Amino acid sequence: MSATNQAATEQYDYDIIKKFSIMAIVWAVVGMFVGVYIASELAWPFLNFDSPYFSFGRFRPVHTGAVIFGFGGSALFATSYYVVQRTCQTRLFAPGLATFTFWGWQAIIVLAAASYVLGYSQGREYAEMEWPIDILILFVWVAYLAVYVGTLMKRKQAHIYVANWFYLSFILATALLHTFNNLAVPVNLFTLKSYSLFAGTQDAMTQWWYGHNAVGFFLTAAFLGMMYYFVPKHAGRPVYSYRLSIVHFWALSFMYMWVGTHHLHWTALPDWASTLGATFSIMLLLPSWGGMINGIMTLSGAWDKLRTDPIMRFMIVALSFYGMSTFEGPLMSLKDVNALSHYTDWTVGHVHSGALGWVAMISFGSLYHMMPRLWNTTMYSEKLINMHFWLATIGTLLYITAMWISGISQGLMWRAFDEFGNLQYSFVESVAAMHPFYAMRAIGGVFFLAGMLLMAYNMYQTIRQGVRAEAAGARAAAATA
Amino acid sequence: MEWFANPENTKPLGLLIFFITFCLIVLWVYGNKKRGKRLEEHKNIPFLDDDEVKKD
Amino acid sequence: MSFKHENVETNAGVLLVLTMLAISVGGLVEIAPLFFNKDTTENVEGVRPYTPLESRGRDIYIREGCYTCHSQMIRPFRDEQIRYGHYSLAAESKYDHPFQWGSKRTGPDLARVGGKYSNEWHVQHMIKPTSVVPESVMPNYPWLLETKLDISDIGDRMRAQRVVGVPYSANQEEYQRNVKEFGEAVAKTLVIADAKKNLVAQAQEGNYDGDRASVSEMDAMIAYLQVLGTMVDFSKIKPEELVKFR
Repeated sequence: MSATNQAATEQYDYDIIKKFSIMAIVWAVVGMFVGVYIASELAWPFLNFDSPYFSFGRFRPVHTGAVIFGFGGSALFATSYYVVQRTCQTRLFAPGLATFTFWGWQAIIVLAAASYVLGYSQGREYAEMEWPIDILILFVWVAYLAVYVGTLMKRKQAHIYVANWFYLSFILATALLHTFNNLAVPVNLFTLKSYSLFAGTQDAMTQWWYGHNAVGFFLTAAFLGMMYYFVPKHAGRPVYSYRLSIVHFWALSFMYMWVGTHHLHWTALPDWASTLGATFSIMLLLPSWGGMINGIMTLSGAWDKLRTDPIMRFMIVALSFYGMSTFEGPLMSLKDVNALSHYTDWTVGHVHSGALGWVAMISFGSLYHMMPRLWNTTMYSEKLINMHFWLATIGTLLYITAMWISGISQGLMWRAFDEFGNLQYSFVESVAAMHPFYAMRAIGGVFFLAGMLLMAYNMYQTIRQGVRAEAAGARAAAATA
Repeated sequence: MEWFANPENTKPLGLLIFFITFCLIVLWVYGNKKRGKRLEEHKNIPFLDDDEVKKD
Repeated sequence: MSFKHENVETNAGVLLVLTMLAISVGGLVEIAPLFFNKDTTENVEGVRPYTPLESRGRDIYIREGCYTCHSQMIRPFRDEQIRYGHYSLAAESKYDHPFQWGSKRTGPDLARVGGKYSNEWHVQHMIKPTSVVPESVMPNYPWLLETKLDISDIGDRMRAQRVVGVPYSANQEEYQRNVKEFGEAVAKTLVIADAKKNLVAQAQEGNYDGDRASVSEMDAMIAYLQVLGTMVDFSKIKPEELVKFR
């Protein structure tokens, strides 16, 4: 075993992947902890502690930044560098540049979190980073694109495997969205504060074009790339249909960019734009489900693996959540449903069924597959993976159930009229009614975080095991020489 | 040119163009057996780098 | 040359260009018209840029992340009309860099909160929301009252907003244009050179935080909250005039 494995660790550039995957786990722990904390603030407001630095409004972007860009981003850097090397059968192009993407990206996450806590924010969701951080992101992203495309160009395999298409489309789309959404004029060169180039309706349109495609490309297309490599690879069977994956890719890449306006139904945005967004949202169901079926059917004929292999279970449950939230999304983009669901916790629940159920779980599965191979060892404990799986699943279900109930009851309470035609509830009555569900959501988060801590421990032991074995191997080699 | 400026005209036109493009892609992908077979071969790429012994 | 998908699959450059095309169309079609179509934003009377003090209040609103729990966009439904007031117009946020329409109502919509409560109520509510709304889950913001408002860079802030299109005046010609558009009283508050003077004057006159001696962040925050949604006089607008902008 070791002789052939040794070759893999030397054949490919694994060092950078190791760094990114460790940081993915670190940021997952940090980001999910902050998530549990802000969820608890809503249930038990004393946790804000009258401190500017811990108050919900400043802490919430710390959570979203750490999980989306810290955990998700690092997991994507790690897996994309792994997949592109292995499917192109070549080493990374410009490894120095790749190292820059690592340090640059980590600096961005830390600086962003620090700036939010200190009160610097662009005031636009998921794009709160102020201008100097935005410029750093741009540099890192251009370097990422160069490394990625450079590696594709020096490949030894004639065909570019479909997983790479998804990763490439994610890199391009993110560059486009990031650049146009963050156009702003700084107050002066020595402060972080800036004012957005756009105002009002145009600003809203640009922001949600960005906001929804952060979901569409950062949190979907890229993780589909992950899926198209790791699910077949781990199952030991090729993807169900390659042709379907081609249709999936082009349809998804084209359609996602249109749907952002469904975040602006019934607002001052002109009606035609939000209708267009809703139409594309419905159509998007087709490629989404095509992709989900493609992933799940990869396992057809080997369903027994689901019973025995917790990693496989992570991947398949991730695909199921992907299917569920891509059904819920188009539903919520219908104007009549949106009239009820918008501004409520239903949206928050929907995001998390995608973020916890799909994005996090497919990343867990992929990291569990990839990390032992990086350190040339096996997972320290299968049992812990299994426990992680159940904690994550229960946590996600608790979370989204709580948010469904609270979201729908908020929507119904706000629009309820009594027999005299007056509003039946004051706003604060709806706030008070949410307390049990906010508590339940926080508990769901604790479950998910507990699973994450198990993963971190399991990985720590696995890496230690791998490092020790390598050291022992080196000593043995020295002794015989 | 005036005709194109009216969204009531361009909306169905756009829809038609995109729908036809979509149909062409689908036809292209699924329409030809030989091409299909060639495309499907690519699905094995993740296994070409199999230099490790399977443990399961 | 006959088109073959192999060319896409085997050429990273072609794949890159085609993907770029596929992802660019949606944004172009939806965003570009908003900048050129005059029907995007209504032409209604009364909407004016924020005064220096209100603008600083808005900065604090953004700094504290109020948008994570409060929307500023009333939808055209009967319940929202009764609860919050007339539905929001695009024109009402035309000087908002960035927009703060929000996406979540953990707390109520604030698009027309201006004038609904007294300054004293707002001070109490900011220091300790549960003192006036016992069931509230909003954090306490005591530091707003304790912190003196930093006004040293107010000129820079207004100049930056002028660059992105807010008509703060930097010279006589721009001032005259503002007089024509907003009237003399408003135009005076938009003069960048007088920003500091105007800010302090408004804080003292408005006495938002109950202390005339100094200008606190609370002064700015409440000045901003009290102007939200009050600029347009809806008694002067016929509903049918607004319909074509929807």
